[in-house]
Amino acid sequence: MKTLVVFVVVVFLVFIGYRLAAFTVDQTQVAVVLQFGKIVKVVTQPGLHLKTPFLQSVVYIDHRLQDYSVKPQEIITKDQRRLVVDNYVIWQVTDPRAFVKTMAGSFVQAQLRIDGVIYSNVRNVLADHTVTDIISPKRLAYLQQVTSSSQAQMKSYGLKLIDVHVKRADLPEANEQAVYKRMASEREQTAAQLRAQGEQQATQIQAEADKEVTITIAEAQKEADQTKGEGDATALKIFSDAYKQDPDFYRFWRTLQSYEQTFSGKDTLVLSSKADYLRLLQGFQPAQTAQQP
Amino acid sequence: MQDLEGDFQENWRKWGRRLGKLGSWTGWLIILVIAAFYLMSGFYQVGPASVALVKNFGAYSQTIGPGFHYHLPAPFQSVVLVNVSNVRNEDLGFRTVRPAPNPQYQAVPQEALMLTGDGNIVYVEAIVQYQVKDAQMFAFNLIDPQLIVRQAAEAVIREEVAKRTLDEVITTQRTAIGSQSQVSLQALLDRYQTGIAVRTVKIQAARPPDQVLAAFDDVNSARQDHDTFINKANQYKNTILPKALGQAQQIINKAEGYKAQQVALAQGTVARFLDVLKAYRAGDPGVTRTRLYIEAMEQILPKMNLIILGAGEGNQTLNLLDLSKLLGQGPSSPKGGK
Repeated sequence: MKTLVVFVVVVFLVFIGYRLAAFTVDQTQVAVVLQFGKIVKVVTQPGLHLKTPFLQSVVYIDHRLQDYSVKPQEIITKDQRRLVVDNYVIWQVTDPRAFVKTMAGSFVQAQLRIDGVIYSNVRNVLADHTVTDIISPKRLAYLQQVTSSSQAQMKSYGLKLIDVHVKRADLPEANEQAVYKRMASEREQTAAQLRAQGEQQATQIQAEADKEVTITIAEAQKEADQTKGEGDATALKIFSDAYKQDPDFYRFWRTLQSYEQTFSGKDTLVLSSKADYLRLLQGFQPAQTAQQP
Repeated sequence: MQDLEGDFQENWRKWGRRLGKLGSWTGWLIILVIAAFYLMSGFYQVGPASVALVKNFGAYSQTIGPGFHYHLPAPFQSVVLVNVSNVRNEDLGFRTVRPAPNPQYQAVPQEALMLTGDGNIVYVEAIVQYQVKDAQMFAFNLIDPQLIVRQAAEAVIREEVAKRTLDEVITTQRTAIGSQSQVSLQALLDRYQTGIAVRTVKIQAARPPDQVLAAFDDVNSARQDHDTFINKANQYKNTILPKALGQAQQIINKAEGYKAQQVALAQGTVARFLDVLKAYRAGDPGVTRTRLYIEAMEQILPKMNLIILGAGEGNQTLNLLDLSKLLGQGPSSPKGGK
């Protein structure tokens, strides 16, 4: 019975003692031990630590990466254009002593301070550059500049700015509309150009085709005329070869044929009674040579 | 105990008596049960995808793999479980409202709209997939892993997009933006010591903003129109050219025909002439001539109106002999011929 009571009491006292004289620092934390508001010890090693009961208190400080989104701010760039810049800051408490001294260990206060410093540094650095440069990869160098100058200002507060990064750099609403308008007009221009080019090429193709047709027909005509000429020439040669054997007989024979062709019934022929054909009507005289009537 | 004040002693006695009534063994039993529960709180299970980080009084001591394990209870040891196999996902530019199946997404334009290198605005949606590669860093350095990944990814993708023109972003460079963003994002997260491995940065959508979408679509249809015009022209060309070739062939064929005809006619005519000439030469030329002449006259004269002028002996008056009237027969009268 007695041993039971003693056991319970001992466990209880150990627990109370542990609570009063010891404290643990988590892997994610650092601790500052205060005595009457004065810093007596900074504990950066996680684990079990001792303190003086009642006299000392412990302030725990989160040692993890703080990810803070700076309020988007509008800046005016070197080329007099407005840009809305949205930054984020990765920071960490590296000097707990300074942090507790200057900020009383308050993260809210630290963020306000960071906000102000980043705001002015971003404004100062980016205002010296054009929009094109700011949105280009060059901005990493500018941000490096912002980070290091902000870091210099924040060092006394026990904070380390690991990175200041532009998350977004956008145009203000009004400018955005202007950009949309320009983009649309550019595309409309391209579309019109494409259609015009298409029509131009189409017309060209058609004209080319028409030309080819004309040429083809003309060539054919030329060849045809040549062929016809050849035909005529060949015929002529055939005729002349044959007729030159006896040009006189040809003249006679051909003339007679021609008469048959030329004279038709409607014509009236006036003949001299002395014509060869009619000579016999007058009395016979043998004719030696044929005369044309 | 004797040092304590009387009423306190009194109290103790009362409690003692009560406990005594229960029997000291009951008290021990209660303590034993409590102690058992307390000790048993140290059992924990690590899932197959996870590791456990064991802390002694808050200080990291070791990493334990999957299985059923035990750690000392409350103030002495604790564990942090980290899922190291799970591929975590972040949506940029949109949110998954309802997961698959039948997924439903919602656009977040302010995240998706970004400036390109040529001063245009493009709408980009991306997903980032990442895994824990260093459980200690992941568990002890980060407050909100999601937020840090989102912010760094957004910054990196915007940087990559800003390196390129709008046309590149929406056409050929999509994959390149993803893979280069992955490299830059990994470098950034390594610099922050997050213990995160970026598995993919994938550009899901890269298109012109809604405000100018119609104009961009019109360019596509203009491209179609462009081709249509040309196709129509080619069609015209392909129709008229063969026709022309046919026509040309026709002209040539006609000419060939003409040529053949001329030659054949000439040959025919000449053949006839030569036959006649042969006969003419074979016989008495004078007789043949006369015969031919008279035959021809016989052919011609009957069809015609004949007026014969008598060439009388010094008589100057015209002696008209109208043969057709005399004979009372003519193939045609002058009236009929008109």
